[in-house]
Amino acid sequence: MKPLLEVRGLRKSYAGVHAVDDVSFAVVPGSITGLIGPNGSGKSTAIDCIAGFQKSDAGRVFLDGAEITGRAAHEVARAGLMRTFQTVRIYERLSLRDNLAIAAQQFDDAGWRDELLRTARYRRAVAAAEARARELIELVGLTRYAEAEAGILSYGQKKLVALAAALMPRPRIVVLDEPVAGVNPTRIRDVEAVLRQLNAAGETFLIVEHNVEFITNLCHHVIVLDQGRKLAEGTAAEIHADPRVLEAYLGIAPEADDAQRRGAA
Amino acid sequence: MSVDPLYLVQLTLNGITLGLLYALIAVGLALIFGVMEIINFAHGELLMVGAFAMSFALPAMGLLYWPSVAVAILATMIAGLVIYETLLVRLRPEEFERSILVTLGVSIIVLHVVQYLFTANPRLVDTQYGFDGIQIGAIRITFTRIIGALAAAVAFGLLYVVLRHTQFGRAMRAIAQNREAALMVGIRPRVVARNAVVLAAGLCGLAGAALAPLQPVTPGMGQFLIFKAFALVIIGGLGNIPGAIVAALGLGLVESWIGGFFEIAWQEGAVFVLMIAVLLLRPDGIFKRGAMRLG
Amino acid sequence: MKAIALLIAALAAGALPLLTDSNYILGIAVSAAIYTVAAAALNLIYGYTGLLSFAQLGFWGIGGYAAALTVMSFGGTFWQGLLWAALVNAALALAIGYPTLRTGRHAFVIVTLTFALLVNLIARDWVELTRGPLGIPGLPAPSVLGFEFHSTARFYWIAWGYAVLALGGLYALCSSRIGRTLVAIKQNEPLVRAQGISPMPYKLAAFAVSAAVTGTAGGIFAFHLRIIDPLFLDFYYMQTFLIMVIIGGAGSFWGVVAAGVALSALPEVLRFSTDFRMIIYGLVLVVAMLVMPNGIAGWLQQRRLARLRAALQ
Repeated sequence: MKPLLEVRGLRKSYAGVHAVDDVSFAVVPGSITGLIGPNGSGKSTAIDCIAGFQKSDAGRVFLDGAEITGRAAHEVARAGLMRTFQTVRIYERLSLRDNLAIAAQQFDDAGWRDELLRTARYRRAVAAAEARARELIELVGLTRYAEAEAGILSYGQKKLVALAAALMPRPRIVVLDEPVAGVNPTRIRDVEAVLRQLNAAGETFLIVEHNVEFITNLCHHVIVLDQGRKLAEGTAAEIHADPRVLEAYLGIAPEADDAQRRGAA
Repeated sequence: MSVDPLYLVQLTLNGITLGLLYALIAVGLALIFGVMEIINFAHGELLMVGAFAMSFALPAMGLLYWPSVAVAILATMIAGLVIYETLLVRLRPEEFERSILVTLGVSIIVLHVVQYLFTANPRLVDTQYGFDGIQIGAIRITFTRIIGALAAAVAFGLLYVVLRHTQFGRAMRAIAQNREAALMVGIRPRVVARNAVVLAAGLCGLAGAALAPLQPVTPGMGQFLIFKAFALVIIGGLGNIPGAIVAALGLGLVESWIGGFFEIAWQEGAVFVLMIAVLLLRPDGIFKRGAMRLG
Repeated sequence: MKAIALLIAALAAGALPLLTDSNYILGIAVSAAIYTVAAAALNLIYGYTGLLSFAQLGFWGIGGYAAALTVMSFGGTFWQGLLWAALVNAALALAIGYPTLRTGRHAFVIVTLTFALLVNLIARDWVELTRGPLGIPGLPAPSVLGFEFHSTARFYWIAWGYAVLALGGLYALCSSRIGRTLVAIKQNEPLVRAQGISPMPYKLAAFAVSAAVTGTAGGIFAFHLRIIDPLFLDFYYMQTFLIMVIIGGAGSFWGVVAAGVALSALPEVLRFSTDFRMIIYGLVLVVAMLVMPNGIAGWLQQRRLARLRAALQ
């Protein structure tokens, strides 16, 4: 299948250290793709380069066939790639509804003249955004806080708001940077359920995570990074069985793996 | 057009003196920005306090220059300490705008209290040196000007030694370079910030004291200088001490030269034009911004 | 409901000349109207967008000089003068804003400050244009179709009409999605970018609008004073606008408007010497920034939030 997001030979280094070193991968439309790796493996840098928050040194990025390499962050977003941040970013002093509405406003047809003159087009756009916001707030289970300032929410709830905001403009792909890091374990199941439901409705996700269990439960396809390089790629089961991955994560070759090697010898 | 070379030398010497005094102010701002990431709007008023202290100390000390300078420096250091302990200590590094507004308030209060107590009339300050000076050919420079420039140069030497070789200087640089790491190795930011403010105030006091015999002392004298010092801090790169010194010397020279040949408006406008040009060409200042560097 | 209350307030303010013929009170009312607009313009750039601009003082002065020079040197009318005041300032704001905003908010504060000083120096030293420290006295009363606004009471209509128009326009801007986007940029710029919005045009537009509004306010104020000289650029004006924004609550539209009206009247009522008034301004600034950095409106909102939090838990 033609990939929705394609990354070819991405490189980024800081002061001689290769944070991302020749990484290539693709995300198939309608999939949930996981990007995992130990701390400092270059996951977040890769996301930042793809989403236009950092300039990559080399490599190309395509979104649905169109090249988005080196474009500014807001242009990448307009092209249909919405992202969330590792340390949760929301507008703390705006209501949940406004938090969501802002995320969609760049994507409707109301220009600044419409906004100042409050034209019918503006009112239509606002009404549409409100309906969508209500829907998403309900989906993430925060309806009773809809009018409250986002700042009063718990950390896990804020992550849900960030997720809902990223979904507002119906993007082609949503990139989630550690959606469950720091989230209460009981809540992780909720996030999982929400993502599954959205994916069933056709939404494509690229998820960067630390939490291997979360990724293996959810993802159709997993890419493993280690020290800036792609270490392995495959289905969750394949990744689980891959000795290199276990070594990268645990630092030692596990027994099952030893047995296998002995068997081969 | 022929330019009298002697005139040019005279302008250059004046420019260096002026630049060194600018540098004293700008370095203090850079020091405080480096450690606390705030801008002290009341810095010009510290200078004014130094100049006023000088103007009161001189008659009391029988016009002796150096004891009066010491009094002026002490006075501004105490003022800096009070401002730090009562107000600045409550500001966090990310509260840049708040710091400006708080210190702006301090600046307004100090300026108008002094104006209320001593009126806005300019005070002329006489020292033991009077208007004596040295004469080389047609060039004449007063002792007070020479001493002011030398004192500033010596102050920079001392500052370098302090920052480079003392415990407290190292702590200051550590905080400026990496706050988190500095906290982890047990540096107390509060103490370091206080020291930085007091040190910066002392430099400002020296500048005020050195300026007092050179120009009329008025409550508003700090305001004009502080605007220039702000621009210098931008040109040199925020928080960059050598950058501030180089920018200050450069501005002193440029102003002096322009002032010698063109109308005064051009002289005053030079700093703004320079700043905008630097921002357009090198947005982070001529020198790198951020960490406090010693060259 | 809110709209009706605002309409009544605006009409009541407009009826002031019918209630009093004291030139003293009307003069204060003219100042109050103009200061409030200038404070609301500062609120747009500082309160909403989070960019502390000291250039407002420069825009105020340039507006005053542009309007005065249009009439006195270039043979235009007062109204053309106001138009020039707005245009020149908007263009300057774009020219300063573009290089400066690329570098971040620290540089912005300092550059705008230096700009204000530069305007001050030009007013004083560029004698051929501004007539230097002597200034330009004898600015004529504005007129429309032969109707001259020569008395304070008549001039009040101009100030009132301008305030209603400017505040209405600013409110439409601040309460629109544009205003909400400005707040979003202030709160979390990376997130704004991640949502497809480029912050630079918003910041520049806010700065330019703020400059144009401040400039026209300055233009009208110069004709109220009937003279313009370098004192028009006294830092006192900047401090006044700042105090209004801070006490009213940066980012709260009506908070700042209320503070603008109240703080214009208060110093007149208390009648301090200039030095004493400035000392009080300074104290208010320091105390407000330490105790309630978000002004009275911010303080009220905090209480509301605390109640909300308690109710939700």
